[in-house]
Amino acid sequence: MSAEEEENAAELKIPDEFLKAKCLMNCEVSLILEHKYEQLQQMADDPMNQMSQVFEKSLQYVKRFSRYKNPDAVRQVREILSRYQLAEFELCVLGNLCPETVEEAIAMVPSIKVHSLSRLQLFMFLRGKGNEPPDFITRGRAHDDEAIEKMLNDLSLIKKFE
Amino acid sequence: MFLKTQLSWNVLVPAENLDAEGLMLQRAILTRLLDDFATKKAVKDIGYFIAVTTLDRVGKGLISQQSGALLFPVDFSCITFKILPGETLEGVVHKVLKHGIFLRCGPAEKVYISHHKMAGYEYVPGENPCFVNDKGLKIENGSLVRVTVIAERYDEAEKDFRALVSLEGDFLGPV
Repeated sequence: MSAEEEENAAELKIPDEFLKAKCLMNCEVSLILEHKYEQLQQMADDPMNQMSQVFEKSLQYVKRFSRYKNPDAVRQVREILSRYQLAEFELCVLGNLCPETVEEAIAMVPSIKVHSLSRLQLFMFLRGKGNEPPDFITRGRAHDDEAIEKMLNDLSLIKKFE
Repeated sequence: MFLKTQLSWNVLVPAENLDAEGLMLQRAILTRLLDDFATKKAVKDIGYFIAVTTLDRVGKGLISQQSGALLFPVDFSCITFKILPGETLEGVVHKVLKHGIFLRCGPAEKVYISHHKMAGYEYVPGENPCFVNDKGLKIENGSLVRVTVIAERYDEAEKDFRALVSLEGDFLGPV
């Protein structure tokens, strides 16, 4: 493994339990939790009683850290980012942080620069032979600066029309 | 990072709820599941339990001879939260100490930036202590900060996660 690939190992060291998991952006979680909160308000006299601390803190957090509020915009973000064959994890970090430049995007998600074949080799090495890498790692592939720039432009258009 | 995952749990419905049939029984099972879910808070491998999204499958109930309660195997989907090493995320400062800062990220409150991982920032004591760098950037209670995760650990006693994060790096720091 080259030094660069070794360095990137940290980004790809995703444990077993996430093999069946799908990642969600803050704005997606915000829509789901807000809807649940409304349901609670309709059902119970005292909705605060029904909410766990974990739920309440999470709701506060995702409301604060959602870059997109409109449900259509949220759907569009996922749709646009999905076109670029990113791993689930990469997609969500980008959708959460909304980098404005290619440099920032690569700084936030270094793995988008890793060549797809070496990424697979890396994973096989980490997990042992014969193990199938999870979908949300191998689906990502290398992106050149131009592709990343286009992706960021598409994303910024959604913000303008929100 | 928030995740959507499918889990299989056994839900215990006490004997008193078993007079109900059909929809009422489903509701009793769902209520117990939601209660168990909220109580469980967090586990090491999966993270924090945020909310149940769908009830996917309810299996046949098994009777407990002693209590008369029924145990139902339930498959459901839910949202969880886990802090992943290497991840870049944002949080809110809620405690400023001489040696570092505590952030709140999602439901996790013990996300810690040591002053060793805040190059260029100096501690400023006072009624509202803060950290300031040579460019005049200030980090205080309520500040939004973008950080990268160095390590995380599960605290069995508190059913909570702790994380060590850094704001050294390009595009990290106050937002």
